[in-house]
Amino acid sequence: MEFLNPTALFGLLALPLLLIPYLIRRKPRRLVFSSLLLFLESGAQASGRPLGRINLPPLFFLQLLFLFLLVAALSEPVFSVRPTNVAVIVDNSASMQALEDGTTRFALAKEKLGTVLDEVGTAGQVDVYLTTPRLAKLNATVLTPAQALGLVKNLQTYDLGDAVIDYDQAFSQLAQEQKYERIYFLTDHPTTGQTAATRVISVGQPKGNLAVTGFDVHRGSLLDARMQASVMVVNFSTREEKVKVSLKADGATLASRDLAVAAEKSATATFDGFAERPAYEAEIDTRDALPLDNHRFAVAPGSRNLRILVITPRPKAAASLRSIKGVNVDVISPAEYGKTDRTGYGLEIFHFSSPEQLPENPALFILPPESSSLVDLGPPTSNVQVSTWREPHGLTRYVNFSLFRPTYSRPLKPQTAGQVIIESPNGALAFAVEQRSTRYLTLGFDPLPYLGRENLPMSVFTLNVLDWFLESGGARSQATGEPIPLSSIDSGDSLTTPDGETITLKRGNGYFSATFHQGVYRRLHGGASEYFARNLDDLGESDLRTSAPVRLRGHSGNGASASVLFSFWPYLLLASFLLLLVEWFVFPRWATPRLGLASGGFRRGWRQLMSR
Amino acid sequence: MASNPFTAEFLSQLEALRLRTRKEFLGSNTGSYSSPRRGTSLEFADYRRYTPGDDLRYIDWGIYARSDRLFVKVFRQEVDLFAYVFVDASASMAFPSREEKFLPASHVALALSYVILANQDHVKLHLLQNGSGKASQFYRGRRRMRDCVEFTSSASPGGKLELSSSLGEHLKRLRRPGKAILISDFLMPAASYQQGLNLLRAFNLDIVAIQVMSRSEVDPPFPNGSIALIDSENQNELKQQWNTKARRDYQSKLAHHNLEIRSFCHQSGIHYSFYVTDRDLGEFVFATLPAIGLFK
Repeated sequence: MEFLNPTALFGLLALPLLLIPYLIRRKPRRLVFSSLLLFLESGAQASGRPLGRINLPPLFFLQLLFLFLLVAALSEPVFSVRPTNVAVIVDNSASMQALEDGTTRFALAKEKLGTVLDEVGTAGQVDVYLTTPRLAKLNATVLTPAQALGLVKNLQTYDLGDAVIDYDQAFSQLAQEQKYERIYFLTDHPTTGQTAATRVISVGQPKGNLAVTGFDVHRGSLLDARMQASVMVVNFSTREEKVKVSLKADGATLASRDLAVAAEKSATATFDGFAERPAYEAEIDTRDALPLDNHRFAVAPGSRNLRILVITPRPKAAASLRSIKGVNVDVISPAEYGKTDRTGYGLEIFHFSSPEQLPENPALFILPPESSSLVDLGPPTSNVQVSTWREPHGLTRYVNFSLFRPTYSRPLKPQTAGQVIIESPNGALAFAVEQRSTRYLTLGFDPLPYLGRENLPMSVFTLNVLDWFLESGGARSQATGEPIPLSSIDSGDSLTTPDGETITLKRGNGYFSATFHQGVYRRLHGGASEYFARNLDDLGESDLRTSAPVRLRGHSGNGASASVLFSFWPYLLLASFLLLLVEWFVFPRWATPRLGLASGGFRRGWRQLMSR
Repeated sequence: MASNPFTAEFLSQLEALRLRTRKEFLGSNTGSYSSPRRGTSLEFADYRRYTPGDDLRYIDWGIYARSDRLFVKVFRQEVDLFAYVFVDASASMAFPSREEKFLPASHVALALSYVILANQDHVKLHLLQNGSGKASQFYRGRRRMRDCVEFTSSASPGGKLELSSSLGEHLKRLRRPGKAILISDFLMPAASYQQGLNLLRAFNLDIVAIQVMSRSEVDPPFPNGSIALIDSENQNELKQQWNTKARRDYQSKLAHHNLEIRSFCHQSGIHYSFYVTDRDLGEFVFATLPAIGLFK
């Protein structure tokens, strides 16, 4: 016999509480009597103990039986027949690497799987599935339980967040299509509404954790060769934590900072003036539940110079940017945009033009001709006065807004989540958006041509804009699972994974998609190395206090699964309600005399009620 | 409890009764009870030799004719009766209430007192309480019935009773033997009431014991379950599981207790009667008490 809802069995612990009303009720009533002479003579009845002899009426045992049956029914007991065709689905997301008393949740799940497969028997047929990066079967042919156990023992977790799966729907579909009699799902998520055919085996307990959730490495400014880095640490626990944040490169520690992170808050440590290296690692020195997110990786910006692609119908205005040191400008017309290879550009400036869809590179939109997915355009205005601006912010640094007066502008109405940087009484003038770690800035005025000292406020703003884009360039890391683009593969090109495995790249491979582990991937291309950072980018995996429950609504329509289970909790429920009726008729305490239930039990109950 | 039972009809019925004594007492005045002394009643007692000065009317001439010797007939002296009515006024007599136990007990005492007063005999009421208790003066004549009523009405039952010591205090002041009527619930150990009754016997009193109990004592109306009983006299507490078995057990103990009292009284020559206060007083006085030989 098994219980589909074993949590309800904890209700049995509450059964002794039933004694309380009886103990209260049996507190003796104090009655004055003429003489105790005759009671003392019958001393066997008298009790000197403070509580006396506990004398429970039959009603107590009736109620106890009722509650027991009710709890048993709620725990949904089933008699199960040994299934022969089962699926084992193993959650291999990053949070399964969390430690439970020194053992990972994934290892615990493997241990439990051994017990589970014992139920199947040696003649059973088992299929093994993994949940990340997507729900997929591992074995091509059906496995015996021993083979399945061997297969699962060799599995490793991925540094990926949970895949978006409607487990209820997916399990139901699997059961129907593959005719599984039972599906075992091993995960660290709690479950609600466990069904007869699907057994969710949860491992792990909620616990606190610290995680490095952000790591940016960028140059100090356009003209500065020194590097800057910021490391964001989030505390997913209920007490303040003090950690040592270290910045590493090539295995050596470049700098370290002590950082205090308040409970359920984040804190940022910054590092300045360190030398350029191909790749960096930020590490926090803590022994928390999930070691994986105590590290984060980033690669250095690709070039000290900012390569800008300007798409404009007015090439002269854009060419003025060439007067800025460290900036390489290529100017094309909007018609040429589709034919241009845009790789390697740190910024695309759309000057009086706009692309059909948002570019992959960071982009600056200057007075786009029509509304986009980012903003709607308002009516043109002239000599508009700036009313508010965001401060402190990299875009508004050192700008004297009292002198900042664009002669022509169009107010912007944001259409997506972002930051309004500069605002006029008519609407926004600068609107910044960051999507998938790519920055986009839309301006409702034209900062070009770059006039240097001739228009100092506008020139300072233009330099800020270039700095702001440079900040985000190069050192950007992507989430694990994001493919690495592989353009122009030569013979002898290879890719080294964070585990040290070297994979020879073949022509025709546009992407390397097996980026399931966190770290730095190094591509060897024509004798030069190119680095790519991939990090766990799912806060839900790092926050081990609350995991989203696996919700099963139990609409698995597989008849085969029902054949291995006999659920008898409805009978228990029926029995408990019958007992309730018996209790009602035998001891009808709440009945009124008008109901006419003038049985002996009723009168006794009525007397008890009136005597309270 | 019924209303005042002392109606004119009830009183007139009581006037028809006369207490019976099994002993002879020395009265103070002429009455209707025989005395050990020789007197002038109609009841023949003995003969004695004629001595000069004897009244010639009492010479038995028949004996003189047969034996040629002069004998005079001696008659008993008939005297009045001194009766002592002892009423238990301990706290237990107020259970479940004064009206349900002590008042009926005092009604019995008053009814017997009226019988005595109506016969021009003497009655003295005693309240048995912790210490000496109170005692009235001797009353005689039915007009003193009001005093008797006032005396019993003023009584307030309370305290613990040691029967023998309380009786002893009252008996210290007793000068004339007579009839003692003890009205009590006798809810005390056998040794205690036996000691008290023996004390009365030692004072050469003709004793009547009337045990009074309320219906609540005969059949306690406790709810089933756990109860804590508190003794009305000494405030002792006793925890008890009350159920049908306990009820039966109690009633069995009570029956045995009463049987012991009855048996002791029978052996000691004491009239004994048991009165449950929800019974009709008239029936008790005119049916039960005559049956035990209390009245002539």
